[in-house]
Amino acid sequence: MTLEGGARKSVMVANGNVSGPLARAWRGLQKTGVAGQIVCLVIVMSIFAIGTRGKYLSWDNLQVILSLAGIPAILAIGVHQTIVLGGIDLSVEGVAGMCIVFVGLLLKNKLNTNDVGLWIVPVVMGAGGIAGFLNGLVITRLRIPSFISTLGLSWILAGIAVYINKATTVPLLDTQIQGIVNGSFLGIPFIALIALGLALLMQTVQDKTRFGGYVYAIGGDEQLAQQAGVRVNRIKIMVFVIAGVFYGLTALALCTQLGSAHPRTGSNILFPAITAVAVGGVALTGGIGGAKNAALGALIVTALNEGLVLMSVSPYVQQAVNGIVLIAAVALTIDRRKLGFIK
Amino acid sequence: MKHRLTFCAVCVLLAGMLFAGQLFAAGQGEGNTAGTTLVTSIRGLDNPYHANYAVGAKALGELLKLPVDVLSTEGNSQKGISDVRAEVAKTGGNMVLSIDPNQAPDVVPIAKILEDAKVYWVNWWNKPDDVKVTTYKYWVANITFDSVGTGYFNATQLFKAFKTPGKGKIIALQGQLANNAAVGRFQGLQKALKENPDVELVQWEAGDWDRTKGYNLTKSMLVAHPDIDGIWSANDEMAMGALQALKEKGLDGKIPLTGTDGIPEIFDAIKAGYVTSTVMQDAKYQSQLGLSMALAAKSGKLNVASMPANHRSFMIPGTQVTRENVDKVVNEFIKNTPKYDLSDFFSRWVAEAP
Repeated sequence: MTLEGGARKSVMVANGNVSGPLARAWRGLQKTGVAGQIVCLVIVMSIFAIGTRGKYLSWDNLQVILSLAGIPAILAIGVHQTIVLGGIDLSVEGVAGMCIVFVGLLLKNKLNTNDVGLWIVPVVMGAGGIAGFLNGLVITRLRIPSFISTLGLSWILAGIAVYINKATTVPLLDTQIQGIVNGSFLGIPFIALIALGLALLMQTVQDKTRFGGYVYAIGGDEQLAQQAGVRVNRIKIMVFVIAGVFYGLTALALCTQLGSAHPRTGSNILFPAITAVAVGGVALTGGIGGAKNAALGALIVTALNEGLVLMSVSPYVQQAVNGIVLIAAVALTIDRRKLGFIK
Repeated sequence: MKHRLTFCAVCVLLAGMLFAGQLFAAGQGEGNTAGTTLVTSIRGLDNPYHANYAVGAKALGELLKLPVDVLSTEGNSQKGISDVRAEVAKTGGNMVLSIDPNQAPDVVPIAKILEDAKVYWVNWWNKPDDVKVTTYKYWVANITFDSVGTGYFNATQLFKAFKTPGKGKIIALQGQLANNAAVGRFQGLQKALKENPDVELVQWEAGDWDRTKGYNLTKSMLVAHPDIDGIWSANDEMAMGALQALKEKGLDGKIPLTGTDGIPEIFDAIKAGYVTSTVMQDAKYQSQLGLSMALAAKSGKLNVASMPANHRSFMIPGTQVTRENVDKVVNEFIKNTPKYDLSDFFSRWVAEAP
């Protein structure tokens, strides 16, 4: 049996035997480690570009996609670290709710005279970090799986947030941070640039530092990592603290974008974040994927949802598409060797 | 012999306690409202609408000098049902309940618990259509809002606010798909669209009642339809998200929009001319009406068995709010808790509900 034209060529491309410009581009793309995700993004965007007769690729629409992808990307960069570690963090909404209460109390607003200005950034980062520290402590000291402990903390923090806030929506008057979150540089939304910067920062930490290597080691095989002398518990706590810091930033961006602070503002952000992480190629079984995957995943999911709206696809179908994309993404990235039984 | 005597004494004592308990329970039952606990079960205190159920109940409690308990389901049906069971045990059945259940199917186990405990109660908003109030002796009424009328009112106000009244394009933000209120409000919009053939609904999306989704969807829809004349939103939260998206484009005040619910921010937006109208569901009134009806049934003033079916499950209208009456509404219902006229429970009756 002989291989015919196209099939032979593709095999040669796959083997790296062809030195044409396309093959060189593909090899270059592969080196980024997110080739599949970029191809996926291009396919999604191409389909919608055709479906909307080019409107999808208009600068106006690309700006909207970037501005909508910024916040989910920051959140996904936070959540993905706990997943790379082999756990999961479901406390996102509770931590965000609590941080939003701080924003409503301290940032210039309609209901009180407080105005901490840009100091709100370290405040929410600190609050998120403390929540992450609590998560880490409960997981490592009480030895409760992250799936349960983080869910528990989410409820506790959401309860406290509502108790302090008394169900009040606080209209924000601060223009400085709103200007950053809603503003743009050369037409590119600031929030997308911030997300890009944070993704590059986290990816560098993951690739170039010993800490990053330890996180992958624990995510790959915790027992092996422990035997190799990695201080697993300390690393775990640090990862949850960093994740919490990202939730704090997400919370700040969320409520300043909307111009109001209410603990429920962050009540529907968990599922899209997990979807983004999975779509980006971070394996839910741990050990695989980085910040660039999480950020790209958020961009793909946003590009997909935005395209569905732009094409006026029925909202009933939109929900189904999201579900299909999530299952497909997990099916492609999951490491089945780690799963003894599928329940 | 001594043990036998002790055993007999204990038996007599237990039997006596049981008998006294039965007598006490009977005393707590029909015809006596002394010390009755007014119980309101809501989804949570994290939004002003549900929090106002509690405010209304407490105001009624103060007025009638009766204790008040607020139960919160926190969006968890199982918790809602367990809390009702625990409250029955705590009060010994000497309670009346006004409940906004987490989900429609929750009313079936709740009805059974309250029927067994002989507790009169009123349900708000959600119940499966095939579950009939008239099947139950202690379920006084199921009350809901005229969602179709609400959606219709806001749509007609929106169409009037166009640059060319009654002519233009709109986009719509729908609530959770398959939610009774969302479906009804959308039907109201469709009804208004039929009556105004020059108004075109160019796109609608499901925003799940959520402000962030309302913001995101409006941003996207504005790219697809930059030439719209108005935005119809099924609730105020999504309307506020849409308003933020309009503000970013410098279109606030230029493209009218509407909401529903009556959250505090929407009133400011109406005053500023950004939002055309909303329909407020007055949770304080809901709470007081529900508890008063159940209390009247318990005292015998309201004979549940003789109530016609259209009084056992019915709709009431919301309070329509526009720029003309917004100050009055805020002062009367938001800043203060009015003394509601509860002498006629059916004074606001609009139509029979399923």
